[in-house]
Amino acid sequence: MKKLFSAVFVFFTLGAFSQELFVFTEPASNMPAKSFGFRNMNAFMFEKDDKLNYHNMPEIMWGINKKWMVHAQGFISNRQEGGFEAEGGSLYAKYRFFSEDAIKNHFRMAVYGRYSLNRADIHQQELETMGHNTGYEAGLIATQLLHKVAISSSLSYERALDNNPGYKFPTTESNSAMNYTLSVGKLMLPKVYTNFKQTNVNLMLELLGQRLNENGKSYLDLAPSIQFIINSQARVDIGYRQQLYSTMKRTAPNGFILKFEYTFFNVFK
Amino acid sequence: MKLFILIASVVLLSNTAAKSQITRAELTATGLTCSMCSKATYKQLTSIPEVKEVVPDLNTTAFMIYFKEGSAINVSELKKKVEDAGFSVGELVVVFNFNNQQAVNNSSFKKNNITYTFMDTKPGVLSGEVKVKILDKGFVVDKEYKKLAKLTKQYPSYATVSNNSYHIKTL
Repeated sequence: MKKLFSAVFVFFTLGAFSQELFVFTEPASNMPAKSFGFRNMNAFMFEKDDKLNYHNMPEIMWGINKKWMVHAQGFISNRQEGGFEAEGGSLYAKYRFFSEDAIKNHFRMAVYGRYSLNRADIHQQELETMGHNTGYEAGLIATQLLHKVAISSSLSYERALDNNPGYKFPTTESNSAMNYTLSVGKLMLPKVYTNFKQTNVNLMLELLGQRLNENGKSYLDLAPSIQFIINSQARVDIGYRQQLYSTMKRTAPNGFILKFEYTFFNVFK
Repeated sequence: MKLFILIASVVLLSNTAAKSQITRAELTATGLTCSMCSKATYKQLTSIPEVKEVVPDLNTTAFMIYFKEGSAINVSELKKKVEDAGFSVGELVVVFNFNNQQAVNNSSFKKNNITYTFMDTKPGVLSGEVKVKILDKGFVVDKEYKKLAKLTKQYPSYATVSNNSYHIKTL
């Protein structure tokens, strides 16, 4: 099964890119047990009428043990009339249920779930519980690391609910969707390690897709990114998301992502 | 005179006990390449109270671990910390300071309430610093464990996995 998975991945990603701390998706691996992480994601998305949608999503992360990790995230954006406003938040948990390690190589599988609240208006057919819709998402992730290259794929079910208190989910629209992702990453620098202080550079390429269950409308995005890991502890990610095609209404699919992350090791005893 | 012999033997015994400790270990972690992963593993290992110093080799994902003098490390603690970081132990070699230790396959000795049983080892007498490899499940790569598991007829105790009993091979 594992070999089949790898073969399928390699087939789809011939000559492609990265390591597995992906910018637009989560790998099946967890953060170290008893560590604490802080992440701040900034999305600058272009709306059709030249308006810039800015989303700020601060996030805290906790590695409970080697199998479980949880995130809590807030959603702030400038989309509403009143300007910069807190719109909601979410809780995320990931459980790594399979792990096979070899020298510079691993295969992992995990399941995850997210529950989000959002009080912004519902303005597109695309479902996105990260920053747009109240709802939940449950999925499966498989990640293979092969020396300097990592390949990861996920499949999830996403269900949107009413954005209370002000906005009911329209009964005419599909309130559920399947999401699928394929991510590849490669460690580009350093070629040879000398110490923890060397900045690591990863290149990544991700495919992000969604299909609405009730009307079959779909989209597919391509998202390249570059990642810098500083002092083996801090992360700076710069990514760009570009729609390849879409048959559904999306307000602002294209734009830049700027993400900062810092891990505090062994915070919890 | 008797008292002198008693004191002398107590001193001698405690000396032997101190000498027979594990002084350092070489651990190779598997399942990682990036320096952030190595750092997570390094941080976990340095959080063990018995550990004095950890020297990482990021290219081979190996860690040279030095223990505090007089400390009694249980190698299961090293395994737990590597797994907490999200990875596995691929190889663990520990350095024992032996004092005329008979090494015969299937024979055991006890140090700090932990039993070590010789396995796949050339018979002989061990003295001074000797590198031994831990062969139990979780301390070798899966492939090697599967090979070793076939030897349980020869080494019946190998089938039992315990946190205070290990199988060792001299290198």
